[in-house]
Amino acid sequence: MKKTRLGEFQELVLMTVITLREEAYGNEIQRHLEDRLGERLSMGAIQAALKRMEEKDFLTSDWGEASQKRGGKRKRIYQATPEAVLALKQMKSIRAELWEAMTTLNPNIA
Amino acid sequence: MSAGRFRSQPPKWAIRFMHLFVHDDFIEEVEGDMEERFEDNLRAYNYARARQLYVLDVLKLVPTFLLRRSTTKNRKNYGMWKNNIKIAWRQMQKHHVFTSIKLGGFAVGIAACLLISLYTQYQLSYDQHYDDPDRIFRLINRWSDSGEVGYWSNVHGPLKELLEDNIPEMDKVARTVLWSWDDAGDNHIRRQESDYNIYEEGFFYADHELLDILDVSMVHGSRVTALTEPMTMVISATKASQYFEGEDPIGQLMVLNDNPNTTYRITGVMEDFPANSHLQGDFIMTLEGRQGTDWCCTNYSMYVKLNPLADKIAVEEKTIAMRNSLVIDKLREMGKSGLEQEMEYQSYYLQPVTSIYIDPEEVQDNLTHGSVELTRIFNLIALVILALACVNFVQLSTAGALKRAKEVGLWKVVGSGTGQLILQYLTEACVLSLVSTMLGLALAWLSLPYFNSLSGLPLTLPWDTVWFVPAMIGLALLIGVMAGLYPAYFMSRFQALDVLKSRYGERQSTTVMRSGLVIFQFAATVVLIIGALVIHRQFEFFMNTSLGFEKERVVNIVGMESMDVATRMSFKAELLKLSVVEDASYSRYLPVKGGAVQNRAFWTTERRQLDNGIEAAWWEVDEDYITTMGMELVQGRSFQKDYTDENAIIINEELARVLNMEDPIGKQVIDMFDEKSTVIGVVKDFQFETMLGDIRPLVMLLRPTSSTLSVKIQSEDMQAAVAMIAGVWDDFNDRQSIRLYFMDQRFESMYASFNKARTLLLLFAGLSIFIACLGLFALSTFMIEQRSKEMSIRKVLGASMQRIFLLLTGDFVRLVLIAIVIAVPIAWMVMDEILKEIAYRIDLTWTLFLVGGALAVLIALATISVESVRAATDNPAGRLRSE
Repeated sequence: MKKTRLGEFQELVLMTVITLREEAYGNEIQRHLEDRLGERLSMGAIQAALKRMEEKDFLTSDWGEASQKRGGKRKRIYQATPEAVLALKQMKSIRAELWEAMTTLNPNIA
Repeated sequence: MSAGRFRSQPPKWAIRFMHLFVHDDFIEEVEGDMEERFEDNLRAYNYARARQLYVLDVLKLVPTFLLRRSTTKNRKNYGMWKNNIKIAWRQMQKHHVFTSIKLGGFAVGIAACLLISLYTQYQLSYDQHYDDPDRIFRLINRWSDSGEVGYWSNVHGPLKELLEDNIPEMDKVARTVLWSWDDAGDNHIRRQESDYNIYEEGFFYADHELLDILDVSMVHGSRVTALTEPMTMVISATKASQYFEGEDPIGQLMVLNDNPNTTYRITGVMEDFPANSHLQGDFIMTLEGRQGTDWCCTNYSMYVKLNPLADKIAVEEKTIAMRNSLVIDKLREMGKSGLEQEMEYQSYYLQPVTSIYIDPEEVQDNLTHGSVELTRIFNLIALVILALACVNFVQLSTAGALKRAKEVGLWKVVGSGTGQLILQYLTEACVLSLVSTMLGLALAWLSLPYFNSLSGLPLTLPWDTVWFVPAMIGLALLIGVMAGLYPAYFMSRFQALDVLKSRYGERQSTTVMRSGLVIFQFAATVVLIIGALVIHRQFEFFMNTSLGFEKERVVNIVGMESMDVATRMSFKAELLKLSVVEDASYSRYLPVKGGAVQNRAFWTTERRQLDNGIEAAWWEVDEDYITTMGMELVQGRSFQKDYTDENAIIINEELARVLNMEDPIGKQVIDMFDEKSTVIGVVKDFQFETMLGDIRPLVMLLRPTSSTLSVKIQSEDMQAAVAMIAGVWDDFNDRQSIRLYFMDQRFESMYASFNKARTLLLLFAGLSIFIACLGLFALSTFMIEQRSKEMSIRKVLGASMQRIFLLLTGDFVRLVLIAIVIAVPIAWMVMDEILKEIAYRIDLTWTLFLVGGALAVLIALATISVESVRAATDNPAGRLRSE
């Protein structure tokens, strides 16, 4: 079976979701990422990543509270699943190994 | 929302646009996020810029949400389905009378459909078990003359060699003898070392190639070598275990009819033929080394297996070409006349083995066939019964709809859309049909044994097949949707405002629809009633019509092959001494099932070389036959023992007519073996085959030794008489039990398949009446309930009970009468078409239709009366006080 994979942007969104915890809804994720990356993101890009990862079972979601600020509409709070955390850990260790290999052969980079 | 905020809104059109492509499940989240974002932007930029960014963001949402449906796994909407089903269940419990009527109707309908489709499925399952059924054929004759086409299976024996030598496409050719000729048919049989004879049926002759052609699987022995030697036999596994339990059957000897000359050696044991094989039998005797008939006679059925590449049509043409040269030469040598006609009109046809049973060509052979028409009729009945059940559902649901109008209004007020309501009512219909399918399955399962004994088939519900349960569920849902669609549409159309203000009532279109459905139900029922009546009357007619011979007081003692001629004669003499025995006659040729069959072609002597012969049945009888059978001589005399009636024959009126013999006594006729005989008497035409066909020409000749003795009894107490006869038998033959048949029972069994069809038709007509009545009962209950206040007021004002009863039943009776008017011509046409096939048919008299119609009215009236009488006798005070 083909392993379900994370895209680069999806990985960023996923880590943001885990960081934000109870505050992980569309706008907050977007603001957080825009601050980090220092660039404007579109709503579509964030939503696409969230929906794709939800379909891949990396995220679950539930309704949050409604607030006057949003015209009475409820937020949707996202939460990462254990599989998502596992996938992130794998990515990290693969990166670390590659970095290790890269720097050993090219000491001038490190 | 404050007025100040009101101006700082994102563009309305962009929101509307967003609603267009974002699925309902996501819109709240996305719209909320967008709005929050918009407010952030308002703070960061100016109003115009924020609106601009909003539009830009909406556009960027398009690729993400345009095709995304609410498929996200953890957000499936079970809630609504759960609710729908819960409401459906509560509705069913609330109206339990109507629910049980809907359920009952559906369940009976589904059970009936199930049984019928098992039956028709079985008919189509015949001969599908071979490895390559497309290569197996039966060679049959076709006669086609100016549009009239006839088929028959008997061919010349020596044709086998000609086919093998000249048609290389035929891998294998096998002759068979499947009719009671010589030892084929039934016999008494014993193991050589035993001396007790046991009666067995299912003997036939075949070439050894047959085992290969029909893929007969062998339990013992090889199908290649079994039957290759003279006087060998293959028996079925069942018979092998019966006669040779715990022994090796191979090489054992079995004696037929106590005659050492017909001792067969068993060289193989085969698996029993499957129940759905056209060919049945337990004892296959080899044709190897037998003196067969040559080009004189056609006594064989021919099976062939083509090689895989052969083209059926090309092989047929090649065979006909071969016939035109080689076969015609042989026949000319035999001095057969009419060869030019034969070349012109007669041809060979390869009948696929898979269609032998269902027999669309109506081939004349001696096998049992299914009936395509009967299958079709039963399928139609199944559909009608299902339709009746669906109509019940529609009727009761729409009638009940008015009661639920307030509910619909409320649903709408709290925001249900039409689509949601339709879904709700469809769910109700599907839940109901699923439950009734389960009930129907249980019903079918319980009644299957009875159905099997009626139809004589080994049917089972195919639980073990993969498709059965899904198919049943699919069927249930299909029926649910079909039956629920109209009521769902009907109910969801109620306007909330109207119903809540009680401004609703029956629309004209509903009444018309309802009346139409009642008419349909009863028209269908009346057609079935009349059909069943006609078939029943036709059967009675067969049973009771004057046949031209006596059948009630005659018994046939069979199986005397094991007695020698002298013993037989003294047995007969001894029987005649009994006071209960009036007459006795030896002949295997009987006008009932089980009688022997032989045919010969005849001419008047002067036309021998000019015409095609007239085929006539050829009966060997003794001098007492005519009197024993109670037949009537219209001219001449019967055979006499002391006369030298060497070449004398008695013919029937039909033969005299077709041979154009005005005064046949003393005239001579000649048969295909050029034997001349003199007519000494003419017997009045009598029915010697089923009355489905015409009376054929018949010739009787004196040949007094035979294995069947017919005894005419002159006593009221048949059982005692039979016991006395059996006593005499035991004195004569202690190696075999007496086996005797009452001739009227054998006569009835000629019509066994017709009788089966009659019983099934009666059964299904009864079922459809039951379903229609259920519906009518519920509908009338409902209507009367609605008018109960009106009736109470009428009574208070002085209406009589009769008046009220008439008022209530009048409407329904009128509908039933219209149904009868529609049904009668349809029934007449259908039944006339069916009876056309029968030579001795009853006339379709108006009384039949009157009885059918009256029966329908009576049943309908009885059904409605239950509630009408109650309404008419009710105390009006009770009903009126409630308000």
